[in-house]
Amino acid sequence: MPTVLPGEIIPAKHVNLKLGPGLQQEIGGDNLTSVVTTLAGYLQRSANGARWWVENSSAKRYVPAPQEPVIGTVVLRLGESYKVDIGAGQSALLDGLAFEGASRRNRPNLKIGSLVYARVSLAHKDMDPEIECFDAQTRKAEGFGELKGGFVTICSLRMSRNLLDPNYFLLPLLGSRFPLDAAVGVNGRVWVSCKEVKQTVTVVRCIEAADSEGGGKGIDGIKQLLNTLDL
Amino acid sequence: MSRPRGPTRLSKPYPGSRIEILNDASLRSEGRRPTELRAPTFEVVPGGADSADGSASASMGLTSVRVEVFGPREGRSRAQTLHDRASVNVEVVWVAFGEAGRRRRGRGDRRVAELTSSLRDTFQPAILTALYPRAQIDIHVHILAHDGALLSTCINATSLALLSAGVPMRDLVAAVTAGVHGSTVLCDLTALEEADMPSATVAVLPRSGKVALVGMETRLHVERFGEMFDVARRAAGVLCAEMRAVARGRAREILDAMDSGPAVLREGENDSGAVMVEE
Repeated sequence: MPTVLPGEIIPAKHVNLKLGPGLQQEIGGDNLTSVVTTLAGYLQRSANGARWWVENSSAKRYVPAPQEPVIGTVVLRLGESYKVDIGAGQSALLDGLAFEGASRRNRPNLKIGSLVYARVSLAHKDMDPEIECFDAQTRKAEGFGELKGGFVTICSLRMSRNLLDPNYFLLPLLGSRFPLDAAVGVNGRVWVSCKEVKQTVTVVRCIEAADSEGGGKGIDGIKQLLNTLDL
Repeated sequence: MSRPRGPTRLSKPYPGSRIEILNDASLRSEGRRPTELRAPTFEVVPGGADSADGSASASMGLTSVRVEVFGPREGRSRAQTLHDRASVNVEVVWVAFGEAGRRRRGRGDRRVAELTSSLRDTFQPAILTALYPRAQIDIHVHILAHDGALLSTCINATSLALLSAGVPMRDLVAAVTAGVHGSTVLCDLTALEEADMPSATVAVLPRSGKVALVGMETRLHVERFGEMFDVARRAAGVLCAEMRAVARGRAREILDAMDSGPAVLREGENDSGAVMVEE
């Protein structure tokens, strides 16, 4: 995995080439197109060489993309919809009827400051992103909706993607010590809810310690940290 | 050629002592050769959960600057948002202990205002603002110590902070301040040297060789300008190699930290996270 910096030319060639975040196509003086990096990180590509992207491990700002689960905070109520902060360049729009079983007479009443676990349904750079609180095919909640109680912590984007991976060690390790409820958004936000406050604090501290920005501890480091905490 | 007389500067030497810019052996007051740069220190600072998206510090000799970058995030006021690209806001804070004389400089101070607008003009074309319409990128610059070459140190620190924040850029921006004494070109001036000779700051985008900024506040004969400009461009390229090494080192650190856990990114697995840009 070579490390790249902005402005480097990448020899990416494929019949169906798709460029992900961090790569741009530039047309040179003699009409030759070249692929140039715009972020600092590692150059990655899929196995068949069709998809190339730059993995920026320390990124904290989210760029919305469709079908991704995110955690947002309601910042404004506009008539029939809500403006939700998802940590991106613009606030997202959540329609008041975008919940399971919602109708004109029966609508959830979200207050400013409430948390929602939603799915990005529309994301173009020129428009406000839109989110929905139900699954697209089944039209049922499937875990999306308002998150009551609990605590939200912010981590890097890489860490939130790790937490969504079922093979990652952190949440199962903590879950073996005490029951916990967690929702992870790919926008770098994690919602945690436990019976006792000190359990919630433990989870938050472990997430911060495992994050690369906070030290990047591995499974042994986290076990050591858990031994020092009073559980 | 008579010495150009500029406005009164801060650190004037006492009447009794005479600071020689270049002595007989062609060495400067600190023993540097004319085109030798001071030892640069670049650091990309990791942030925690509540801190800036990207943060870096740069120092050339005694000049020390720290920059924090926020964004792209929601535009704060309607007046500032542009419909098709992100707006770049720069704020410079010049702390009172940052220079001899302990003078507090507010936002309206002439030098602070010029620094702010030069930084904004340098980075507006370098950042790919078209990717984030109606968003805002905030760059907060803290000047901790000032001993010459201030604008160029600010530019170098801001480049690294933007890199650490993951803001897409066309290229790193590296800058150097150069001056002309008699017929010798000097690189990376200290405050005493800046007070005594015409100087210019040159910022380049190293890979393409394009120039992002040339700033000069003094007067200089046009024949001397060409040589000074060339030397400054080459020096900026050398400085950029240092900055790249620091940026790669930081990326390596993060990679090693990630590898310590059992989940390592395998090729082809990241499809759900990538925003596809079709050609």
